[in-house]
Amino acid sequence: MRTLLATVALTAALTLPGLAMARPVTLTTTMNNYGGDGAYLALYVTDASGAYVGSLWMAGGKSRYYEHLTAWYRATGGDTAQVNGITGASVGAGRTLEITLDLADALLDAGYTLHIDAAVEDMRDSPGEVAVPLTTGGAGTPLAGRRYVASFAYDM
Amino acid sequence: MRKTLTLLVASTALTAAIGLPAWSAIDAPDDGSLRPVAAPFQERTQALPLILASDDDDDDNRGSMQSSRRGHDDDDDDDNDCDDDDDECRGGAPNPAPAGAVAPPRNGLFGNGAPPQVQVN
Repeated sequence: MRTLLATVALTAALTLPGLAMARPVTLTTTMNNYGGDGAYLALYVTDASGAYVGSLWMAGGKSRYYEHLTAWYRATGGDTAQVNGITGASVGAGRTLEITLDLADALLDAGYTLHIDAAVEDMRDSPGEVAVPLTTGGAGTPLAGRRYVASFAYDM
Repeated sequence: MRKTLTLLVASTALTAAIGLPAWSAIDAPDDGSLRPVAAPFQERTQALPLILASDDDDDDNRGSMQSSRRGHDDDDDDDNDCDDDDDECRGGAPNPAPAGAVAPPRNGLFGNGAPPQVQVN
């Protein structure tokens, strides 16, 4: 019995740190009532030097409009593979988009920044609509966007 | 001595059995680091030309997304049929696969490789 307990304890000590390398994070984006059609949104991450790392979500499914998400488009060259499997519908004015994903712990408190580019049909493009550092202390703090986003927050 | 060895082997085997699937489920670039998978964010050597879709004279409208489709449902944006004018149907990048159709990209951001869960209220 003692041997068994010792085995379990040792296994847990070795295994648990490896399991805790990601956590569920909810990204909540509430749109302004800007009086236009559904907004295309690109949510992506840059590292401490400002270099593009990857995309978290693309709201809007038609790639021909992606050039209007200008900062994202410049960083990726419009490579739709960057958002394969993480694409959904555009988000209407006044609506709230909630995205829950398992975010790698390595992104927190390490200089990474989450960006949102926004574009609305027949309205002005808004690259850099939101830019928020990914920190444990910043969780739950809403931030207003520049034009189309009323508030953005991430919760853990 | 034998007991100690048995203990060591058993714990190693259990650790491997539990830990390896968890570690392997964490998507990471092939080089094992969170380095950018594309060109740097600030500048690209082959900058794409700025295409102004709008020809409005409105000074406040520097660049805007235009479509000949009007009044489409905000959430009904997955129609792959090209029913716009010919100019709008030029060949270009294919539309990306929607969430759930394929696995998310392996960019090191998603901890368990599962697609994000999304809700619009």
